[in-house]
Amino acid sequence: MRHYLSNIYLGVYTALVGMRITFKQMLQPSVTHQYPYDRSFEQKKNVREIPKGYRGKLDNRIEDCIGCKKCELICPVDCITIATQKLPKGERLWDSMNVVHLKDRTEIVGNIEGDEKPASNTTVTINTRDDRTVNVSSEEIANIVERKPVIFYLDQFDIDMSLCMYCGLCTEVCPTECLIMFDNLSDGVEYSTFDRTDLIYEFAKPEMYEQPADESTEAEAAD
Amino acid sequence: MPLSLQTENLHQFFVQSSESWAQRFVQEHAPVLTHLPAPLGELLIMLACCVIFVAVVPLLPLGLVLAERKVSAHIQDRVGPMRVGPHGILQTLADGVKLIFKEDHIPREGDKFLFVVSPYIIFACSFAVFAAIPFGQSILVSELNIGIFYIMAISSVIVMGVIMAGWASNSKWSLLGAMRSAAQIVSYEIPIGLCILTVVMLAQSLNMQEIVKGQDGIGNWLIFRTPFTFIAFFVFFVSAIAEVNRTPFDLPEAESELVAGFHTEYSGMRFALFFIAEYANMFAVSAIAVTLFLGGWHGIVPTEMLPESGILGFVLRAITLSGLLGVVIKTLFLVFVMMWIRWTLPRLRVDQLMNLCWKYFIPISFFNILGVGIWGLIFPKDSLLSIIISIVAIILGLIFTFGVLGKSLSKGPEPPPNSAERRVSATT
Repeated sequence: MRHYLSNIYLGVYTALVGMRITFKQMLQPSVTHQYPYDRSFEQKKNVREIPKGYRGKLDNRIEDCIGCKKCELICPVDCITIATQKLPKGERLWDSMNVVHLKDRTEIVGNIEGDEKPASNTTVTINTRDDRTVNVSSEEIANIVERKPVIFYLDQFDIDMSLCMYCGLCTEVCPTECLIMFDNLSDGVEYSTFDRTDLIYEFAKPEMYEQPADESTEAEAAD
Repeated sequence: MPLSLQTENLHQFFVQSSESWAQRFVQEHAPVLTHLPAPLGELLIMLACCVIFVAVVPLLPLGLVLAERKVSAHIQDRVGPMRVGPHGILQTLADGVKLIFKEDHIPREGDKFLFVVSPYIIFACSFAVFAAIPFGQSILVSELNIGIFYIMAISSVIVMGVIMAGWASNSKWSLLGAMRSAAQIVSYEIPIGLCILTVVMLAQSLNMQEIVKGQDGIGNWLIFRTPFTFIAFFVFFVSAIAEVNRTPFDLPEAESELVAGFHTEYSGMRFALFFIAEYANMFAVSAIAVTLFLGGWHGIVPTEMLPESGILGFVLRAITLSGLLGVVIKTLFLVFVMMWIRWTLPRLRVDQLMNLCWKYFIPISFFNILGVGIWGLIFPKDSLLSIIISIVAIILGLIFTFGVLGKSLSKGPEPPPNSAERRVSATT
């Protein structure tokens, strides 16, 4: 009899305990983010920290690209397509920019005034890409990518990101370091598109050859 | 008791009472219709009632399905459907449209006729129950003298539909689900019937409207009239959950075991019919529980104690007397409790299900009947003293059970003496 009553009591009591828990849970705010529609959670801390190994997507500073096709060759999945026209022999459009790697792992893109290989304990002046002038001690510099002459018209520089496997080999072989994996988080991590052809990134800008008004670049190249 | 189970009386109750109800309605509310030839006006009123119910009742599941999804979502810290309409209120409608356009598939090896017919049987029966539930003093499709008996009878036919669906599908899952459903519903009909009997003994009538009429004000609600009906209400409610196949008693459609149980092979609109019937059933059993135990369309405050004059008095009186609001609020609360239980408790095993019914609910129900009978012998009908004693007894009983008795009982049952015996019973 005691067993019987105890069963009844436990049945009722445990059910009530469970129901109390679920009711409390119901009153708690839900944790769902209505993601594509409501982005207010992005302002919260620690919600969108990108892990360290994140590479981002490929980006190309097309003015610095010399059309060497090394990236096209090394790409394991053949997602890069490049078409070039060579200039007449001895002519060149301009030089690519220097990329200065500092020891604190930042990098500055721009043209170094004067010698590309500065002596030790001198101050190096860099005219950066976005028209600033930066002075850096040569002790801080870890590595400098040399300028290279641009002797190809780039008619086509397409990267099919739907094929890309994000290995980053192309950025390693790039002699001017203009092809980079770019993890600018202001663009977000949303690379998906509704049309597959939107995933073919076309970097070639034919209009930059047509404008001789691009004097600043050419003037720098003449230096 | 005014009931005698003879065929002429049965006929009289069924036909004449409903006729007289419609006649009364025509004379009181629509005297224009008396100019029509004799039965035509009454038929029109009956038809109007039918149309209203057939049109309104299918809308209930639309709301209830969404409510279920929302309740479950919030219990699990989610938000539920949010896309279709503001806060997803049109989600069920969208699902319904989708189901209408789905392929209506009938198994080649199945029994086509039974397969086609069974959803309609379940649907029709679960909707016929609504005919006898009083939603207000005058909001009632048919005032049957044997209302609760009719409800018991018509809701038992649902199990026929379930078995037909399971058999006609020619599928293991369906058949197993149907068999389980039959065993479960037939078993749980008994405690439900016995609990209803306690109410009928107190109300001295099978007429739903008569049962409600004695329950004006919260003290007069039958759940508080005696301590035994208090127990009976919970037995009834849990058995009702089992009867409408909801978790923790959803063995007939156990997703993890039987895919979807008896409606595994159904698709499209036929599946939607099962779905609608399930939620309509849920609402119906809750409404029956409200009618029998929780005062039906009566409010918490007795009608005499409402203010006589003034706008407040008028509004309160209108709300209480029309009763629709009271019934719907109380019923929706019980439906919410059903959902709450569903998202709290896991499913029972088959033997546990049968244990609960045959070893616990049925003896307790008999005990209740005995208790109510003795209570009726001791106290005169509807005396204030009996109500006070009963409420005090209920409160003391709850305190005693959960405060004093709980400590000694919560140590848990001792291990069963012969575990081999239990294993045998588990195979049934």
